[in-house]
Amino acid sequence: MSISTQGGEQHRPNVVKVGGKPAAGAKPATGGGAKTPPKGGKGGPKKPIAPVKVNQGRNWGPIAMFAAVGLIAVGIIGWGAWAAFKPGGAGYDWETRAAGIDGITHVTTELKSNHTYNPEKYDQNPPVGGTHSYVWQQCMGNVYDAPIPNEHAVHSLEHGAVWITYRKDLPADQVAKLAAKVEGKEMMLMSPVENLDKPISLQAWSYQLKVDDASDSRIDDFIGALRVNATQEPGAICSGGNTATGDKPLTEEQVAAMQQQQQG
Amino acid sequence: MTDVGNSPRFSTRGLALAVALALLVGLAIGFGVSRLAAAGSPADDSAAAGFARDMTAHHAQAVAMGMIAAKKGNSHEVRTIGEDIALTQQGQIGIMGQWLRDWGLNLNSTAKPMAWMPDGDKALNGNLMPGMATAQEMAALENATGKEVDRLFLEMMIKHHLGGVHMIDGVLEQTDDPGVLWLAKGMKTRQQIEISDMQQLQATLAKR
Repeated sequence: MSISTQGGEQHRPNVVKVGGKPAAGAKPATGGGAKTPPKGGKGGPKKPIAPVKVNQGRNWGPIAMFAAVGLIAVGIIGWGAWAAFKPGGAGYDWETRAAGIDGITHVTTELKSNHTYNPEKYDQNPPVGGTHSYVWQQCMGNVYDAPIPNEHAVHSLEHGAVWITYRKDLPADQVAKLAAKVEGKEMMLMSPVENLDKPISLQAWSYQLKVDDASDSRIDDFIGALRVNATQEPGAICSGGNTATGDKPLTEEQVAAMQQQQQG
Repeated sequence: MTDVGNSPRFSTRGLALAVALALLVGLAIGFGVSRLAAAGSPADDSAAAGFARDMTAHHAQAVAMGMIAAKKGNSHEVRTIGEDIALTQQGQIGIMGQWLRDWGLNLNSTAKPMAWMPDGDKALNGNLMPGMATAQEMAALENATGKEVDRLFLEMMIKHHLGGVHMIDGVLEQTDDPGVLWLAKGMKTRQQIEISDMQQLQATLAKR
């Protein structure tokens, strides 16, 4: 007979009946105080401290309960973390999508957002951000058949547009393929660009991707990740703005004249 | 003292089993809760998500038309209704964009416009959804002057609203999301009122 079987069962608080009828046996020793070890009654002097030791050893009920609750909590939190950060989940944001596009350039140095009427020099060709005209280029799915001023296009990028540019020698069927991704789609614009080092270049604010062919699947990946998402001005629009082509931004006088015309 | 650790009810194997079981229960609860939460928010290919994306593009053109009318409408009625439509629909664009973010969905989709509506592709003109103006029509409105602004605007916006109501009906039939139903019903009521207002205005201006 082991010590634990004797005192153990009887002294776990949840087994003891408090204030009720005396325990079945009605022996004075066990029926009395719940917490007092059965000293005295049965040959007490034999092993006086043994029951106390057993009781203090482990109170397994609460320990098991807390452990179970804790582990269940770990499981729930673990599932939540996995669901939030696994690829494709809600935590798989547009920046992660953009970073996953092969060959994409992300300019992480500061790009200025100041407004000017002066022609600007940009570090990238075509530019992906920086000081730009007060007026944006209209980007309601506009397909421009001649180059547009960088200073206006950069303002469109700031609003969240994706700007598709192509070299003048791009075959007509490829130009048509690109135009089909733009026409009638707001927050998109397209134009040819002089001196482009690759046949096609895509721009969003601070992002660029250069590809050789209009059927490259990364074009849709770029648009899907960055259109509207890359905006520097959430809620901004693409309508209004400049619709003229050219290589110089509108001067202050030209902008005033344009607004005069827009106000009828 | 030593016999406590060897208590037969808490063997190492039993303990390992209990740990594994508790972890499994936790994972199952997590999975179940996430399923329930996901069941409550529209999926990427749902009508609600398709509507949010496409109506955003549809509205953006109405904002463009409305701003033109607000700036250079010939009559005060056209300037007022242009301003009202532009500001209201720009606000609604903001609401729809936030739905997509709340649902954990991208604002962009590779699906074609109208793909969420039955026979939606038949209603498409290139990328243009029902009622939308072509680039040429928009350019004509941008370059119009005087009474021509009013005439073109009313004609184009009535058509735009009719197409919009068709799309709204499409989502009302397919979603039970309370937020989507609320906005879509509000859009429909408002746009129907505006259609009859604009038709009346056409008649009034023709006599002026």
